Amino acid sequence: MASANSLWAGFRAAIGGGFLVASALGSTAAAKTFDIPTGAPRSPLFGALPWTQPMLTFEEFGTQAVPTTSCATCAPLPPVRSCTSGPDGAALDTFLRQQLWPAPTVAANTTRRSYWHTSVGSCVRPLATSAIEGRPPGEWFSHQRWSEFRPAVYFQSAQAGARVNNGLRDGWQRHGYANGEFAPGGLYYAGGTTRGINVRFHPRFPVQQENSVWTFDGTMPPKLLMARVGEPILFRHFNALPISAAANNGFGAHTISTHEHNGHNPAESDGFTAAFFFPGQFYDYHWPMQLSGRDTINTSASDPRAGFPNGAGGVTRIRGDWRETMSTHWFHDHMLDFTAQNVYKGNAAMMNYYSAIDRGREGFQCNYTDAANANLCFPSGTSLDWGNRDYDVNLLIADKAWNTSGQLFFNIFNTDGFLGDQVLVNWTWRPYFNVRARRYRFRILNGAVSRYFQLAIVTAGGSRVPFHMVANDGNIMEHAVRFPNAESQSLPVQGIAERYDIVVDFSRYAPGTRLYLVNLLEHDDGRGPKASIPLADVMSGRYTGDPAVGRIMEFRVNVNTGVDRSMNPAAYEVGGRVMVPMPEVSEAEIAGARHRTFDFGRREGTDENPWTIRTDGGEAFNMDPHRVSAAPTTNRWEIWHLNSGDGWSHPVHIHFEEGRILSRSNLGAAQPVPSWEAGARKDVYRIGGGPDEGTDVTLLIRFREFLGTFMEHCHNTQHEDHAMLLRWDNRSPGQTVAIPTPIADWQGVYYEPSLDLPTAN
Amino acid sequence: MASRLILSVLMAGVLALPGCARPAAAPTPAGAVQENPWGRNYFPNVVLQDQDGRELRFYDDVIAGKVVSINFVYTNCTDICPLDTAQLLRVQGILGDRVGRDVHMYSISLNPERDTPEQLRRFMRTYNVGPGWTFLTGNAEDVQLLQRRLGLRAVDENNLRQHDTSFIVGNEATGQWIKRSAFESPQLLADLLGRQLLNFSPDAAPGRQSYSAAGEVTDRSRGYYLYRTRCQSCHTYGEGDRLGPDLADITKSRPHAWLSRWIREPDRMLAEGDPTATALMARYRNLAMPNLGLRESEVQEVIDYLRRRDEEAAR
Repeated sequence: MASANSLWAGFRAAIGGGFLVASALGSTAAAKTFDIPTGAPRSPLFGALPWTQPMLTFEEFGTQAVPTTSCATCAPLPPVRSCTSGPDGAALDTFLRQQLWPAPTVAANTTRRSYWHTSVGSCVRPLATSAIEGRPPGEWFSHQRWSEFRPAVYFQSAQAGARVNNGLRDGWQRHGYANGEFAPGGLYYAGGTTRGINVRFHPRFPVQQENSVWTFDGTMPPKLLMARVGEPILFRHFNALPISAAANNGFGAHTISTHEHNGHNPAESDGFTAAFFFPGQFYDYHWPMQLSGRDTINTSASDPRAGFPNGAGGVTRIRGDWRETMSTHWFHDHMLDFTAQNVYKGNAAMMNYYSAIDRGREGFQCNYTDAANANLCFPSGTSLDWGNRDYDVNLLIADKAWNTSGQLFFNIFNTDGFLGDQVLVNWTWRPYFNVRARRYRFRILNGAVSRYFQLAIVTAGGSRVPFHMVANDGNIMEHAVRFPNAESQSLPVQGIAERYDIVVDFSRYAPGTRLYLVNLLEHDDGRGPKASIPLADVMSGRYTGDPAVGRIMEFRVNVNTGVDRSMNPAAYEVGGRVMVPMPEVSEAEIAGARHRTFDFGRREGTDENPWTIRTDGGEAFNMDPHRVSAAPTTNRWEIWHLNSGDGWSHPVHIHFEEGRILSRSNLGAAQPVPSWEAGARKDVYRIGGGPDEGTDVTLLIRFREFLGTFMEHCHNTQHEDHAMLLRWDNRSPGQTVAIPTPIADWQGVYYEPSLDLPTAN
Repeated sequence: MASRLILSVLMAGVLALPGCARPAAAPTPAGAVQENPWGRNYFPNVVLQDQDGRELRFYDDVIAGKVVSINFVYTNCTDICPLDTAQLLRVQGILGDRVGRDVHMYSISLNPERDTPEQLRRFMRTYNVGPGWTFLTGNAEDVQLLQRRLGLRAVDENNLRQHDTSFIVGNEATGQWIKRSAFESPQLLADLLGRQLLNFSPDAAPGRQSYSAAGEVTDRSRGYYLYRTRCQSCHTYGEGDRLGPDLADITKSRPHAWLSRWIREPDRMLAEGDPTATALMARYRNLAMPNLGLRESEVQEVIDYLRRRDEEAAR
């Protein structure tokens, strides 16, 4: 009890006074204030030492063919154990093992009651009506172009409280624990199962309680969807979280809305912030996986670069612009007011797109042997026709904090931004990761709430390990960019939700060598990054400020027994081969584009006023899901100006299509667009004037194929929730009716009228 | 099962027990719920005074077990606070007699020296504040501590115009707290307080109706938007007086130059002793028209909007 009291004393002092946390902890460090974790004492380490546990690698969801038969024996979602906890884990696994049932429907399935209507009746209130699916009913949120893009495959998962993994998905891994490095004897075999893995960041730390962490399935490792471009997917997302709103161990909402960032998905499946669903329901997300420009470009599906691996060495060609092919995505919660808390709590999965050009199979019809070949042959593996992950590794990087009991902690009151003091990689604390002495691709996602990273890979002696960046925000660039370079020694600053794919060649290092992934970017609060710390100061231990600056992961180089057949990114630098050229756009099209301006900041520019976005010089607003701030007409070029003026950093995310950065400026002065953005399609645009960013960005974008209600927001999710978030609708030419606004409830979803701003146009 | 039901009802905040500490919780299902970190150990239990001079402890009497809205005001504020208060009045109007029962509204003074209980009572009478909405005053340091604990930037008495205008809404029983703004639609705030923070336990349908009743969605002019977000807190068009006069035919009954200046800088006109302005203030409970900080062009847009309505009505 004494320790709990002193915890609260320190905690109160930290929050109440904005004190030096360092001095509260008795340290002599720091002339500067580092209130990290934000408003809480440092996270205890329970005697754990770095580099003593292997990194968790992502576990594949595994897609299956959509069943064509009905299911007479399928059981319903298992019941809750109480108002404050979800179903029994084993029962949930049995349920998730069943085939998809009931069959998906075009409009929301409201013919059946919520699985948990009786429990909701006793825990909350008796329900006169309810629906098994939480998608808003009727025409407005029906799946667009359903018969055209009828899902071929599906997967299902339940958002659920933390529990031990029972190996549910062992049989659904593409590698089958039988191929390449995942076979017995391979680097990543790991016993051939995920059974027995707990939700725990290090073996020395306590296991997370059921309501401290909520993940897909409720289990670790974090989950990965392996999808093929052009193969429509249905994701049935069950909400198996507690019915009681109080059962959250201090943060997180039990209502959720899932956004596939930055899929070219119809609005009803985009995770609109007000289209959330309740415990005891599912939501069918329909992800058509089409290339942008499908309706206007390559309409004969004749381009061999537009397509997906057919599983037998061929490519199934599809319509659309191959230059719009996407590669590294993630999906996460988008619940109004609670996105930060829910994503932090575990509602985040990654998603790799496989395609003709990015097949996940090296050495096979490679572009580097013949420019007419589509397959870029990034490091991956050779066992499977597509989706080899032997040398293609997803890294989810996020800062966290936990309380004295080791349970995950979040400060819900600090809306400037929340920082953790410990950086986890794939939810593991300072892990090691065995690699072969060959090229690897890492798909790095910044999955933080408010923290930006700047990463470098270094030797134990502190020398930089060179690498190439090949994709920005999940989109393969025109040219690979080598680091270090004249513009940047380290990987550039990576804002929240940005993805950087890099290729590292470990063959330069002898087996036995240890290398480190290091974060160099200092925050002293959640408003934005402050400075890049010199590598030498970090490695020498001279730097003692932000506790999240430093080494976060160790690579252990092992002998390479195979042959590296992956592309050499140096051959794709500027002046060399091209990976994916930018889609062309004419000067006339740029000149004719519709301009819109979005100012991200606080009303009247003062700290005392709420977060807002101002559209086209109009009123500065925070979020009202009824309000349509912009309504572009589909398939027309637009130029969006994203401005900031408050000196705080905002990683702005625009849903649905990628844009290209036309210019950057800082307080009115033009800045060069760096090489890693010049040939890149982006979906997150950093503004605010921090390191590696100006105050303002101008970008070119257009919205195609699907209509409806989308969003644009600051991806510092504490800013988003409170409330730098706006709604824009993609409309047909001449469309005059705004899609109504869904109002979700246990009893079903209602609609209210939407309100077009003068700027909607 | 019975005890579980009671627990869940408490957790959902349906039972609010004014003025009482929370009763001992029923046994918790094994391993499911930790202690709420945003409870007694987090919020200071400082003593405040309400408008009737009663002493209330912040944690025990003000928030424990309740759904609350909390904002910070001072009664001689002339710029933004009147709009805050007017907006909250509309929230109270939408929630009706649920305020004081399901939802508790609090405004805490940032200027405790000036804002005595008597002054608070006067302020509440001016605005015609209904029951269930309590005004509080207290020791300045305590109030600053409360602001910080609620995630707001604390201001001192000498710098009141810089105060944080956010509303904090929360349910102490569930530990859910959200920061919102005075500029939002009162319907949204009412829905958040009266439904979402209660684990969506009341039916959404009534809220749906009142939102649709809130307005035309066809007028996309800026003037309408300004009217809706700036004027409607205190005025109606053709539905009688609210805090301020009914604006129907206002563009006919007042000279344009006077009206334009009155919307732009009412505080200066009052200070200069403009006779019409002074008479208006006397007629409307001595409640001064606030300076809304509108630009010249915005004032014109509001007047254009009102004139259009006056012309339509005359047809």
